[in-house]
Amino acid sequence: MAGVHLLIKSFPTFLLRPNTPSPTPLLLLRHIQTPFKPLKKTTPFPPNQTSSLLSRHYSTTSSAVTNDDDDVSGGREFVALSDEKLLSQCDVDTYKSSGPGGQHRNKRETAVRLKHIPTGIIAQASEDRSQHKNRASALVRLRSLLALKVRNTVDPETYTPPLELLQILPAKSTIRGSECGSQIGPNNPKFALGMQALLDLIFAVEGSVADAAKKLGLSTGALSRLILSDDSLRQAVNEFRTSKGMKPLK
Amino acid sequence: MNLTSLVRTSHITRTFTHSIKPISSSSSVSLSHTPTSLNPKPKTPLYLKPPIYTTSLSSLKKFQKWAKTLSSSVNASFKDSSNLHQELNWLLQDSLQNPNILQTHEENDNLVALRLKLDDLYDLWTQRIEKRRPFQYIVGCEHWRDLILSVEEGVLIPRPETELIVDLVNDVIKGGGENGDLGNGLWVDLGTGSGAIAIGIGRVLGDLGRVVGVDLSDVAVRVASYNVERYNLQDKISIKQGSWFEPLSEFKGQVAGLVSNPPYIPSGHIDGLQPEVGRHEPILALDGGDDGMSDLLHICNGAASMLKSGGFLAFETNGEDHCRFLFDHMETIHKESFCNLKIVPDFAGIQRFVTGFRS
Ligand SMILES: C[S@@+](CC[C@H](N)C(=O)[O-])C[C@H]1O[C@@H](n2cnc3c(N)ncnc32)[C@H](O)[C@@H]1O
Repeated sequence: MAGVHLLIKSFPTFLLRPNTPSPTPLLLLRHIQTPFKPLKKTTPFPPNQTSSLLSRHYSTTSSAVTNDDDDVSGGREFVALSDEKLLSQCDVDTYKSSGPGGQHRNKRETAVRLKHIPTGIIAQASEDRSQHKNRASALVRLRSLLALKVRNTVDPETYTPPLELLQILPAKSTIRGSECGSQIGPNNPKFALGMQALLDLIFAVEGSVADAAKKLGLSTGALSRLILSDDSLRQAVNEFRTSKGMKPLK
Repeated sequence: MNLTSLVRTSHITRTFTHSIKPISSSSSVSLSHTPTSLNPKPKTPLYLKPPIYTTSLSSLKKFQKWAKTLSSSVNASFKDSSNLHQELNWLLQDSLQNPNILQTHEENDNLVALRLKLDDLYDLWTQRIEKRRPFQYIVGCEHWRDLILSVEEGVLIPRPETELIVDLVNDVIKGGGENGDLGNGLWVDLGTGSGAIAIGIGRVLGDLGRVVGVDLSDVAVRVASYNVERYNLQDKISIKQGSWFEPLSEFKGQVAGLVSNPPYIPSGHIDGLQPEVGRHEPILALDGGDDGMSDLLHICNGAASMLKSGGFLAFETNGEDHCRFLFDHMETIHKESFCNLKIVPDFAGIQRFVTGFRS
């Protein structure tokens, strides 16, 4: 996931708050149905993936930011979309120059770059020899970036953790029932949804791991270990803590 | 008629008439009229050859350095149309038993195991640079979807655009519903080449689903059969030799799905093609007649009588104008035969495929 780490710093976090108007200005993302319409011509981009290159592509169009409360799609919904739906919200580029393609051309253009239009988040993959496999990896990365970067607001007072969060908790959590199955780890595609819910909670409790741990029936140490077990999760939590003047987790 | 028996019989016909030699059965009897020497076994891709050669790590690094220098000497248009840097890495990956060895800081007089002679490695890279021989012919394979397909001179290297045909078929099968159980029916891939589409479809069909791949070229028939056996799909996919519908007369009106990526380059464009394509890939796989539409129109005209009602079709085209032309043709001339016609873009946004159903 090397590409992902580069990306993380480049994006501000989106805050999503369905239904209730909020006292502080929050970004609301409107659900945009983009038809499957990839970019027609693209300039080839350099092979090394630098964060500055990627951040340059970041944008939230004004139509995507709105205070209109209905028709809001939460970040949770993005992450939970089927591959096909998620792909339909993206511009898809392969490394290519213009031209007719197909039988005319023999170039192993295997790298794939996805730009998620509603959020502007970009994910790419180029490590495999098949374009098909790189597209699949880029989608997994996009999902993980959406989980990391798009926040849903939750109310800590009335908080109950959703199932997908319970599923990534270790078995020793006191609120985790047997119906959750065995613990889902970072290599499972379902981890992204749980990670997103965990970050939502940590943001809601202002970065306090101890407070979040209480809501999850875990010791502070056990929750810290979970956070540290995934590089991108750790980095997201630490960035938030640093911005609140707290010490990063080690 | 029961599909399993259909495919079995055709499998036998194929073996008898075209002397396909499966890799595993050297004992199989060839009843072909052509002498076997003219009909050799398909080439084994480099990455599957046994690592029986050795060289020192320092000699290998010397090769790598030489190859890089050679690649950096090429002209701009060559550079632009190829990823030589990546290709060299992939060539080494396929040649070495342990590709990581080049990253380690081992002693330079350590021996490394190779799947070909070091001299051949020099030859191959020279061919790549000086003759513009396609990289995929050099390593004898192409990574396509999640498959690694064997390819060699005489058979078209499958293109990434074409990968989408399998997704289109998969969507139709998984969509199920009004058109009956297409996933357990008989599918046809016309001009199967390396067998790419046939194998891709074979892997998404249900247990009873079968695929027949047709090609006029001997090499294609041999390579496609080899690839089918490598994926152990010989009970599901049969490869027949012949021109378009000719070997399929027994399946008239029974076909659940028909797909094709026929030759579609206008004859006048062949000379101007990228050297890797124009000089090395088979003209039979590329030349679609004066306007590039001859084979597409022929196939489209025959499709109506092959497909059963509710059957699916998908064709790849030269893109844009060609695609719209084919679409209009089908919508007007074949108004009675086809419905739900659609133009589908490829991943680069070029209108590439026409799909539809038999009414
Ligand atoms: C563009 S290639 C496609 C190969 C493969 N389906 C793919 O997508 O990679 C077209 C194929 O049609 C075959 N072909 C050309 N004329 C044919 C004919 N009259 N009957 C059957 N196949 C033919 C060629 O040999 C070639 O393999």
